[in-house]
Amino acid sequence: MARKKRASTIMEEINMRPAMNLILILIPLLLTSMESAKIAVINVATPQIGPSSVATPPTDTPEDKPLKLTVALTDRGITVFAREQVIENKDDPLGPTILKKDGEEEDASGKKVNAKVYDLEKLVEIIQDIKDANPAEENIIITAEPNIKFKYIMEIMDATRETKVGEKLKKLFPNVVLSAGIA
Amino acid sequence: MTEEKRTYEYIPENYEQEILMKKKGSKEKERSNEMQDININSLMDILTIMLVFLLKSYATDPINIVPGPDLDLAKSSSLLTPAATVSITVSKSAIVVDNQPVLVVKDGKVEASQKRGGEDSYFIIPLSKALVEAAEKKRRLEAVNPTVKFDGVCTIVMDKETPYRLLTEVMYTAGQAEFSNYKFAAISTVG
Repeated sequence: MARKKRASTIMEEINMRPAMNLILILIPLLLTSMESAKIAVINVATPQIGPSSVATPPTDTPEDKPLKLTVALTDRGITVFAREQVIENKDDPLGPTILKKDGEEEDASGKKVNAKVYDLEKLVEIIQDIKDANPAEENIIITAEPNIKFKYIMEIMDATRETKVGEKLKKLFPNVVLSAGIA
Repeated sequence: MTEEKRTYEYIPENYEQEILMKKKGSKEKERSNEMQDININSLMDILTIMLVFLLKSYATDPINIVPGPDLDLAKSSSLLTPAATVSITVSKSAIVVDNQPVLVVKDGKVEASQKRGGEDSYFIIPLSKALVEAAEKKRRLEAVNPTVKFDGVCTIVMDKETPYRLLTEVMYTAGQAEFSNYKFAAISTVG
């Protein structure tokens, strides 16, 4: 009996303290350095400058022009260009295609406040119509006024990349090109 | 046989005293054994598993982003994951290239003296220097290690309040340093 007890005490004599110390230091260190949120990325390109590889003869019909879908953000709203022409707002032909609407947004401290926000639903509607007319096209050019905040650009990229049709995700224009700002 | 052995044994002068000491020591040991009776094996198991898990998740992150009050990322529903590229971080107070601070940002603007050609210029001199260096480093690595390829991609980690003007300045400067494709980092809203 006594011998058994001695054997078990010998077994327990492995000194775990240094290992425990190490682990207890490493775990908080790793936990604090670990990011709490998952990071995603969006691929973006800049406009390519140079002669185009395929020579396109000048044509008069607007249907033959490249689509060059462009979404421009301004303080007043979103202006959409397709085939180098503005898609007009019927109510306000001189204003942006989609005016800002009343809504809520987070301010710098994360509180929700009433503000004018971009009407993304309407934008998706217009973009979807353009996609239906040009199913092969995948490029979109996004540009903005110099003072437009980065988060709105991200919102536009998210809205124009894909949309939900029923349960399925429909691809819209995933290839984003950011163009220089509009003055 | 045993008698012979005993004759070889070394008997110190203060033998009795030593035995007394030993007895005392073993008592103390016994007491400490009682103290150690708390079973830490299960705790050790948990901690070891946690440690392995944390180490693994730590190693798989190609870019290290630490959001804070100065760097509040925008949200995105994109499903693409970050890749190991040169990273440009634009926070409310500074621009950082690959964890090396490059220049100061104030109110979403870079000082005119840091740009080539003054206020209206898009070219940020210190950023360009840092990016050219980073590109060169990648090229040198490419020459030695065929698995590394310099493809002109950089990851831009940007505070969500940054104005579009600064974004275009950063992109223009990066473009001059042969970085023509960008990955914008955002907090994933999916999953």
